[in-house]
Amino acid sequence: MTEDLAQLSAEYEALIQFLYLAPVGLVQLDSDGEIAMINPIAAQLLMPHSRNGGLDNLFVALEDIAPDLRNLCQQSTVHSGKICDGMHVHLHAGSGCSKRMPQILSITLLRLDASRIMAVIDDITEQVRRECRQRQNDAWLNAVLTGITDYALASLDAQGRLCEWNPSIGRVTGFGPDTEGQSYTLFYPDDAITPERALDRLREADADGWALDESRLLRADGSAFWGSVMIAPLPQADREAAGDAPALPCEEGPAYCLILRDVSDKRDIAERRRREAFSDHLTGLANRRALFDAASQEFERSRAAPRPTAMIILDADHFKAINDRYGHPGGDAVLQHLAAILLDFFREVDVVARIGGEEFAVLLPSTDLAHAVDLAERLCARVALDAKSFDGQAIVCTISAGVAVAADGHGGVDLLIKQADQALYAAKRAGRNRALAWQPDAVVAVPQEALDGA
Amino acid sequence: MINIHWPRVGTQFMTIAFDFPELATRLDACSSEELDQLDFGVIGFDANTEVSRYNAFESQAAGLSPQRVLGHPLFTNVAPCMNNFMVAQRFDDALEQNAALDETIDYVLTLRMRPVKVALRLLSTPGSATRYVLVKRQPK
Repeated sequence: MTEDLAQLSAEYEALIQFLYLAPVGLVQLDSDGEIAMINPIAAQLLMPHSRNGGLDNLFVALEDIAPDLRNLCQQSTVHSGKICDGMHVHLHAGSGCSKRMPQILSITLLRLDASRIMAVIDDITEQVRRECRQRQNDAWLNAVLTGITDYALASLDAQGRLCEWNPSIGRVTGFGPDTEGQSYTLFYPDDAITPERALDRLREADADGWALDESRLLRADGSAFWGSVMIAPLPQADREAAGDAPALPCEEGPAYCLILRDVSDKRDIAERRRREAFSDHLTGLANRRALFDAASQEFERSRAAPRPTAMIILDADHFKAINDRYGHPGGDAVLQHLAAILLDFFREVDVVARIGGEEFAVLLPSTDLAHAVDLAERLCARVALDAKSFDGQAIVCTISAGVAVAADGHGGVDLLIKQADQALYAAKRAGRNRALAWQPDAVVAVPQEALDGA
Repeated sequence: MINIHWPRVGTQFMTIAFDFPELATRLDACSSEELDQLDFGVIGFDANTEVSRYNAFESQAAGLSPQRVLGHPLFTNVAPCMNNFMVAQRFDDALEQNAALDETIDYVLTLRMRPVKVALRLLSTPGSATRYVLVKRQPK
């Protein structure tokens, strides 16, 4: 009997440890999100995002990064089976703290029965990054094979040294046969690549099958061009990994092929222009057009899956006075400073845009009025405390904000923006440096002149 | 060096509380038996993050016997829930900067797969062979 018990307790301990060490997050919850069981990886991934520092309820813990989960579970008609499968959740970027911080989580919810849901949570940051690289590589290879531009083809040894010169190298880069035996870093400006980085890329190619980057390169005559460089390992049995360098270049034969392409062409310029069309040049934020696109899309989605959408419109107080006193460079510095605060303050899923001279708008998907007002108030307080140092002086700038919410995609983007604008006007009139919500009974026509020079 | 007079209970061993100052030095001097008397969890680990000390309180709470834990890397094989910037990164940073770490944070551990609110005290002293995570259960 005691032996049975000892056996049982040893098995229990092994089972506990198996769950402790499972390399994926597992959570069992009820329909309200209350957590019954959770393993360590789930806690590791969720704790940095938990709003209240606890893990009693999965919906509450994930409210900031995946506000849809509760709706998804409550509205799902699935009696048993998957409610969602590998949903990607993008986390706040640039919290500054680190390499360890995952960027993308995958969440799968499985309904077991009426009262139990199982969640599987995984950090897929690396996987997504690899897939993205793969797609980029495919596109690039496609471009090479369809012969859009000329390219140079060279073979490298295991240390990244050119094995032999050929006319394509001369044609694209202008370098001659004396480059044989030199590292491929000779195509780069001196401060653009280190020997370690050059070897990193060979290892990357070994791991992924390709290594690709775009950067400024130099021709033999010193002129610069925008180049795309792909390195791929050559299929070769028993090739030694890049280790000690053999005395002579290519003693052991070519190990990689390098394809170099001059991409300072119109196609890429057009692509850059397209990107620029959606972002504000001074602040790097989204522009009006990108905001409208994103808002229209969110409205469409919230008609299909009902949820509130909030809009905060904010404006720098007495901005004209700042421009007058510090000049336009000072004014621009304040706008960039504001933009940086906004990007840091809001979630990655929110769209922060500059929609006018000193006017900004933030689209907050799945956010109700109370939450949006709370955020806007906290933002006002933070901006007021965070002076911008410019030319040895501290420029203090406050903002006023108006908040409006549309339920379930009703009303349209234009109306939402108009309401937030009216609330902003009311906040200005009430004395600035504050946030107000739109009031249906206080509808007033906003004369544009009243906002100008605010 | 300030000479601190530690409270003594009886003559055999001293009681040590979770929030005592300069606790790492105190714990270094404790025998395994003394660590087992404490009413909070003690996990000691070396520069390679391998667990070198694991007391009875922690072993009981986690449901793991010391032999499954001692000698294993803490953040990957023993307590992966702490492998993020809130805990593991702080120890990394302290080691890298050769700085002292003594911080207490609220955390949730998954003891026997139940979420349990705890206070974690993170201790790392430059030049010392053992770093500590101390675990105190929060009142419900």
